[in-house]
Amino acid sequence: MIALERVVKRFGEVEALRGVSLSVPDGQVTGLLGPNGAGKTTALRVLYGVVTPDSGRATVDGHDLATDRRAAQERLGVLPHAQGLYPRLTAREHVRYFARLHGLEGALLERRTAEVLAALEMEEFADRRTEGFSQGQRVKVALARALVHDPRNVVLDEPTNGLDVGATRAVRALLARLRAEGRCVLFSSHVMQEVAMSCDRVIVIARGEVVAQGTPDELRAATGKASLEDAFVAAIGSEEGLG
Amino acid sequence: MSGGPGRVLSLARAVLAKELVDGLRDRRTLSMALVFPLLGPLVLAASFSLVSGEARTADEQGVKLPIAGAEHAPGLVAFLAEAGIAAEPPPADPEGAVRRGDAEVVLVIPPGFGEELRAGRPAPVRLVVDESRRMASHASDRVHAVLAAWSARTAGQRLVLRGVHPLVTTPLAVETVDVSTPESRAALLFSVMPYFLVMALFMGGMAVAIDTTAGERERHSLEPLLANPVPRAALVLGKTGASSFFSLVALAETSLAFALVPVLLPPERLGFSLRLDPGVVARIFVLALPLLLAANALMILVASRARTFRAAQTTLSFLMLVPAVPGFVLAMTPVKVQPWMQVLPALAEQLVMVRLLRGEAVGAGDVLRAMAASLVLAAVLLAVAVRDLERGRVLFER
Repeated sequence: MIALERVVKRFGEVEALRGVSLSVPDGQVTGLLGPNGAGKTTALRVLYGVVTPDSGRATVDGHDLATDRRAAQERLGVLPHAQGLYPRLTAREHVRYFARLHGLEGALLERRTAEVLAALEMEEFADRRTEGFSQGQRVKVALARALVHDPRNVVLDEPTNGLDVGATRAVRALLARLRAEGRCVLFSSHVMQEVAMSCDRVIVIARGEVVAQGTPDELRAATGKASLEDAFVAAIGSEEGLG
Repeated sequence: MSGGPGRVLSLARAVLAKELVDGLRDRRTLSMALVFPLLGPLVLAASFSLVSGEARTADEQGVKLPIAGAEHAPGLVAFLAEAGIAAEPPPADPEGAVRRGDAEVVLVIPPGFGEELRAGRPAPVRLVVDESRRMASHASDRVHAVLAAWSARTAGQRLVLRGVHPLVTTPLAVETVDVSTPESRAALLFSVMPYFLVMALFMGGMAVAIDTTAGERERHSLEPLLANPVPRAALVLGKTGASSFFSLVALAETSLAFALVPVLLPPERLGFSLRLDPGVVARIFVLALPLLLAANALMILVASRARTFRAAQTTLSFLMLVPAVPGFVLAMTPVKVQPWMQVLPALAEQLVMVRLLRGEAVGAGDVLRAMAASLVLAAVLLAVAVRDLERGRVLFER
């Protein structure tokens, strides 16, 4: 369960978030949908604790990022907007590093590392240095290090960006599995079809505000549009910035 | 959020281990930590053997001097020979020969020499040298000195002929007393050592300090790192620890190489005994440790504030000179030590190093004062780096 309450964030003159409130339940995949520049990435960055809001609060399973960042981040697996890897480390070393940063050690660390590498079908390239990895392999490394500590809550910022069909399907399958395991999953996208295919609930954000939320059916009903795409355009008020 | 110092240290170890593996696999890091430290000692050894070798050849083998027109001044040629300067047949084109480097010095005695000399007028001789050649200057100095001696002797003979005591032309008797000891002469040569040691502190860890901060941000791996439940102090300590490790390697290598210079250059080759007490080297090494930590904390802080990898590189290469320059100045000119100098990190250490190298007794107070000052500086810089990270200014909000 993760939540934002009336979160406001300004960068200089720009008001990136103007009082965003949202709540993401366990056992569901929730899509954060919005055009480029709507504030999706900033909202997620507040959630995983690398951006401090000017006002409002962010919580993970009730732990406030501002006052108990450690407890909140321990319950969170993050695929951030930036997915940079260390070119001189192997895929396995990436996963181990993040496992250690989450306090895992010894046999448990090795077991969790092996499990997550197997789950993402990474054994073949697990012991190669990441320099020269394909985009699909890179995303898998980033996902593996985000999930190695078995987090109850998972936040993914544009997880399918730049992936080919095969890798996109793999991410979709992963989302379904995370939901089946009862986790709370929030992922952002500016691609309509992506959200329609994977999500139980959709939160539409535009110009730093939540403009609509609900199941895809509820969104269609609320906007009186037949397709989710039309509903989305109606909700954000323009077609600007859609991918 | 902290979870106690034990957890901070445990996580700092995790960061340290990762950054060490990463650094050890980086060719840039290794070459800066391993190759650069040899530069100072190599320059020192090379200049020693060059300078001393040249002086030795001139002194031991005597100077060979091609003389054109030797037949015009047999007395002068004989005087030169007595002083160890052997006449040689002249080249066809004296100036060309010197310019090409075939001869170091050529003496040209014109036909009118004897006539002028007998008439009591200044008899002309020409000394052809290339002053821009270091090797030639020693030979030409020798020839100059012998010519001056001959001139003075001839002047004295003329005065005696006229009934004047030659000493009346020597109103001043200058006597130079050299109070230098072998240690202090060696110290003069080793005075560049503090400069190179301070450079090694920075150069050793610089690649890692930049790669783990500005580099981490530039390759977009900082954001995922910061999404982990890790106290910012653990990140700063781990990264500073990793860069300090490479500085430590560089410092040890530089110290060792300087200690080896006298071994590689034995006294019979140098013409004087050059000693560097291993105890002094060990003390200098320990003295430099807090400064090493401060240097790396400074590099981590500055590099994490730099916009890009390259910007960090430029800033640090310049910044590194600031603490090293006092060492360079100390090597050139003696400085009256003021109290504030003894607590100014880098300068304080270099002052103590110079005294240790000169073989002077250094009180424990001076050493501890210098080390404590650097330790305080390191702590302040680390605290600022942690605060930067906690405020998130390192990531996006710049």
